[in-house]
Amino acid sequence: MTDTLRSICDQCTYLKNPRLDFIPAELGRCREILLRDLQELVVAATANNEKSVVILAGIILEGILYAFVSAQTDYIAGRRGSFEFNPDHSLQNYLNIFNRWLNDLMPAVTLPDLIVSYRDLVHMNQELKRPPGTCASAAREMLRILDTFLEALSEFPIPT
Amino acid sequence: MGLLAPHLPTDKGAEARLRSQLEDLVGSWIGPNPGSKLALAIWFRKAPRGDTQQVLALFAGFPMNDFGTPVRFPLRWRTGEEGPPFAEVNWTSVDHFSQLLTSDRQAVGRFFDGPEVLCFDRKILSEDILEEFNILTEPPHLMKGWYVEADRAKNKTIRDLLSFYDAVKPHIGLVKTFDSPDAENCRGLIHGEIGERWLPLSLNGLKNYTFYNELQQGVPGFFLFRGGALYRILKFEEKTASEYSNLVLKRLPDDRYPEVYLRSVHLSEKPAA
Repeated sequence: MTDTLRSICDQCTYLKNPRLDFIPAELGRCREILLRDLQELVVAATANNEKSVVILAGIILEGILYAFVSAQTDYIAGRRGSFEFNPDHSLQNYLNIFNRWLNDLMPAVTLPDLIVSYRDLVHMNQELKRPPGTCASAAREMLRILDTFLEALSEFPIPT
Repeated sequence: MGLLAPHLPTDKGAEARLRSQLEDLVGSWIGPNPGSKLALAIWFRKAPRGDTQQVLALFAGFPMNDFGTPVRFPLRWRTGEEGPPFAEVNWTSVDHFSQLLTSDRQAVGRFFDGPEVLCFDRKILSEDILEEFNILTEPPHLMKGWYVEADRAKNKTIRDLLSFYDAVKPHIGLVKTFDSPDAENCRGLIHGEIGERWLPLSLNGLKNYTFYNELQQGVPGFFLFRGGALYRILKFEEKTASEYSNLVLKRLPDDRYPEVYLRSVHLSEKPAA
C-alpha cells in the first residue's frame, strides 16, 4: 500500500525537528521564515494536502538553498576563483550552484532538476501538462528529498 | 563564514578567477530577456595572462544570418572598474552557427581552439552544436522514460500509455548493464537529471523516489521508455562494480551502484496490476 503524506511525514525526523544551525546569525530572519514554513508544511502533510505540500516544500528548498549558498560564499569563491552571492537568483540558479560547487560536501544528498518542475506545479498550465497523479507523487518525493537534505545539513559545521 | 577555501596554485588560481569572472558576465545575460535567450557561451583561445579573453555567445529566439560586431566587456564590471581584463564577445544565433557548421566550417574554426564551456542551455541548443563542443549531458545508450504506477497502467496498451506520456519530459533514465538473450529480462542503472546532466542515482538518491518506495511496500510499478519499451520493476540491488563507472558520466562513491532488475512487458499485453 502506498504511503500517505501523513505516514511519510511521521518518518521525517528532520522535517519535524529541523536543525538550522548552518544558517549564519546574520540570516536570522531567513531562519525564522524557514521555521514557520516548515511548521506549515508539517500541518499540510499531516492533513494529506498534496498541492500545499508540493508548493511549500519547493519554497522551503529554495529558502534553504538561498541560506546555504549565501553561507558558503567564501568556500565557493575558493573553489572557483571568485563568487558573489546573488540574492535575486531563482530556485534553478541556486540548485545549479549547489550541484556544481557544494554537493561534494554532502554526497548523500541528491537534488534533481525535477524539484524545479515540481515547484512549478504552482502554475495551472504546468500541472495540466503532466499526467494526473503527478502532484501526489511529487508531494511524496519532495517531502523525502527535503528531509534527507535537512538531515545532511544538521550534521554540517556551525558557521563561525 | 563557512569552510576554509582550498589553496589554488597561482596559474591555476588566475585561470579559475578569470573563468569565474567570465561565468559571472555571461550569467548576467541569462534571464527572461524578451526575444532572445543565451543558449551557449564558450571561452576559446584561452590566454590567462592576456588582457583580453575570447568568448563565443550563441543566442536563441531571433533570426540572424551573420555574426554581430564583437563586443568588449570589462570583467570587473561588478565593481565598476573599466580596465582589463576584458572579454571580447563574438555573438550570433544558434541557427546561424548550426548552419555554418555544415556550410562554412572555416568560418567557425577559431571557436574550436581550446574551447571551454562557460554555460549552456540544452533545451535550446541543437544536437550538432552539443556534439561539436563535446558537451556531454548524458551517457551513451541512455534510455529516457517515466515511472508508471500500476493503477495507471491497468487495462491500457503501451500505445495508450505512450500517447499520454510522450508529451511529458522524461523523469528517469536507464543505462542497461545486462540484457538476457531472450530479451525478457534486463538490469540497469537508474539515472536522474541533475544540473542538466543525466547522472546515476545512488541508493540514497533512489530512496526519495515514489517508484522505489512503492516497490519496497509491494506495490507493483512499471518503467515506460520512449519508443515503447515497457518493463515491470522487479527489485533493486546495490553492488560494488568499478566497471560500471565506464557506463556513466559521474562515478558513484566507492563504486556502489544500485541496479534495477526489470522484466519486459510485451507490446500486446495489457499490464494489469
